[in-house]
Amino acid sequence: MAERYDVLIVGGGGAGVAAAKALWAAGCRSAALVEEKPCLGGILRQCVHPGFGPGLDGRAYAAGLLQDFPPEFPCYLGATVTALEPDRTAVLFDGREIGFRVLILATGCREIPFGALHVVGTRPRGVFTAGQMQEMINCHGFVPRGPAVILGSGDIGLVMAWQLLRLDLSVTLVEQADRMTGLLQNQERLAGLPLRFVPDATVREIQGFPDLTGVVLSDGQTVPCRTLLSAVGLKPERELLPAGVPEWAVLAGNCSRIHPRIESVLREGEQAAGQALMKLR
Amino acid sequence: MKTVDVAVIGGGVLGCFAARNLTRFRLDVVLIEAAEDLCTGVTRANSAVVYPGCDNRPGSMKAALTVRANASFDRLCGELEVPFSRCGSLMTAYGPQGEAVLRKKLDQGQKNGVPGLRLLSGDEARDREPMLSRAVSAALWAPTTGTVNPWQLGIAAFESAKANGCETMLRAPVVSIAKAEGLYRIETTRGEVAARAVVNCGGLYAVQIQELIYPSPVRLRLDGADFLVFDPLTLRPGHILFEETEAGKGVTAVPCPEGNLLLDSPPRPYEPHFATTREGLDTIRAHGVRLLPDLDFGAVIRSFGGVRPNPEGVDGRDIRDFCIQRPAPTFWSLVGVKTPGLTCANELGALVAGECAAVLGAERNEAFRPERRAIHPAPGSPLVCRCEGVSRDAVIEAIRRGAVTVDGVKRRVGAGMGRCQGARCAYEIEQLLKECVHGGTV
Repeated sequence: MAERYDVLIVGGGGAGVAAAKALWAAGCRSAALVEEKPCLGGILRQCVHPGFGPGLDGRAYAAGLLQDFPPEFPCYLGATVTALEPDRTAVLFDGREIGFRVLILATGCREIPFGALHVVGTRPRGVFTAGQMQEMINCHGFVPRGPAVILGSGDIGLVMAWQLLRLDLSVTLVEQADRMTGLLQNQERLAGLPLRFVPDATVREIQGFPDLTGVVLSDGQTVPCRTLLSAVGLKPERELLPAGVPEWAVLAGNCSRIHPRIESVLREGEQAAGQALMKLR
Repeated sequence: MKTVDVAVIGGGVLGCFAARNLTRFRLDVVLIEAAEDLCTGVTRANSAVVYPGCDNRPGSMKAALTVRANASFDRLCGELEVPFSRCGSLMTAYGPQGEAVLRKKLDQGQKNGVPGLRLLSGDEARDREPMLSRAVSAALWAPTTGTVNPWQLGIAAFESAKANGCETMLRAPVVSIAKAEGLYRIETTRGEVAARAVVNCGGLYAVQIQELIYPSPVRLRLDGADFLVFDPLTLRPGHILFEETEAGKGVTAVPCPEGNLLLDSPPRPYEPHFATTREGLDTIRAHGVRLLPDLDFGAVIRSFGGVRPNPEGVDGRDIRDFCIQRPAPTFWSLVGVKTPGLTCANELGALVAGECAAVLGAERNEAFRPERRAIHPAPGSPLVCRCEGVSRDAVIEAIRRGAVTVDGVKRRVGAGMGRCQGARCAYEIEQLLKECVHGGTV
């Protein structure tokens, strides 16, 4: 085995970066971070809406967060961890192995896709998860086709409604509850925009093949659309620890529980660093 | 105009195996497919079961071919490097009606020569399969039942055919067929082909294709089915389960070679474009909970619909056996091949290819190479699909081998089949397709 560290952080989003900075500040010099993408920052990098600290968008916030990231901190970028062995070894995509004494898992979360929902109909092109579309638009310059329907008015649903409206798409936001469920700041941003909001409803059926042509809502109305986004919830990404959390691992950020705000993600990352150092003693 | 010995119409699992078996003879073969890729029709949604041979009447073609095909599946999948899991099956009953069906299947299976069949009590069945419900009163154990990925099998057969000289025409729906001077002139939207013989594996369109030149006394009635796919990390049975309720066939549960559990519904009326139905999905859930009380339906990652073509005579009566029509000495139509069509695809292909070679007087092709290599990316290539562990090199190789859509990549290497359903990799795969296909790398 080529490398060994006291603490290994898996995931370089907000939680992993906060944990790395806290470890470094506490004097821990045997620690490293593995990140799948070629750069740090995680999901913050695809967020162009304000709401991160004082008027900042996710990118600006990430830039601030990374400004004082210790340059000597070892980071494996563009490296996916494919397995965590019980002998405390992380296996990378290319077969490299990294040994550790304590692991901080900061792998974030994933979105629940339409496939997992009890929605019938065809399986056409034009159906995405909201975060997937956020990345496509903000990181790759993709232009979705309107009209659009978004299922779920949690934070990601609200943010994507705002983004699609800014692209001049006609947007119908469908919500199971009787009102929007995301943070107030994300609701307020939509004020004055021509959003069509349908509460007390869900998407019952998907229509069109090979391209999406519309959805049928639970009240029976058909809404024509060419883009459909699911924003129905997030699942902590903990599949690297399929048998549960062993005593040598600490969870941080959205892989621990879903956080509505970045501040609590960072706090949990810092706390995880503290717990990891405790475990080392 | 291209002239060949044999034109195979239809690039589903049947057409791919017909083509592969034809290349075992010294024949020029072309495979004509209407869609942009292979295995996109009936093969697209299949319960992935390799049957043991208990379901068919002794003496029928289905019984004989299934038992033979099952016995040769390890060798076939070894040649083609396709994962095959011979996990065995339990057909389960809840009471006297179901138990009577089990006894009938045992009797049929034994007459058909299926090895290792055993009738188990409910407790014996639960010893083998602890997830089974207490309500299961008896089960028929069939150790030779297995499961294979239908797309991978069909595409592997195609790649083997291609390596042995079969040519392909994709995106080429057949418009007309005429016969002149001993040759079939097959007009497609992408040009004309002349062939001495035709093997029609047109799936949902097999009757229409035959009727372009000959009448068909066989019609197709389409059934549909719904499927649920579960995350591989959820608790799942270790064997294939066929639920036989007191009212008839229930769900089938298949632990796929990739680790996913697949549940499929009993037949229901077909919906166009493979749409799923409320009653189908509800039936799967109701039956699934009853058969496997600890199954976590929160672990469902996808549902999809499929189609099963049933052949029937002009009198509307079901044709229970495989239906190979031969309206002329050099024209074969495989019409309405459903269960156990996947199991028997290679046998059916071999049967038709043998007849065809005999009629055309073709020698065996001594240069035929049965081995086909699966996609083995070199280690070190970054992962594109984290859920299924598919690397960038594997995706590029899938594209090089003919994938032209994100779904085509999925069918070849599994990218996007996992728990995020492509949310994280679909865009990157789309970009790789653009770069490779349109950028000229492929």
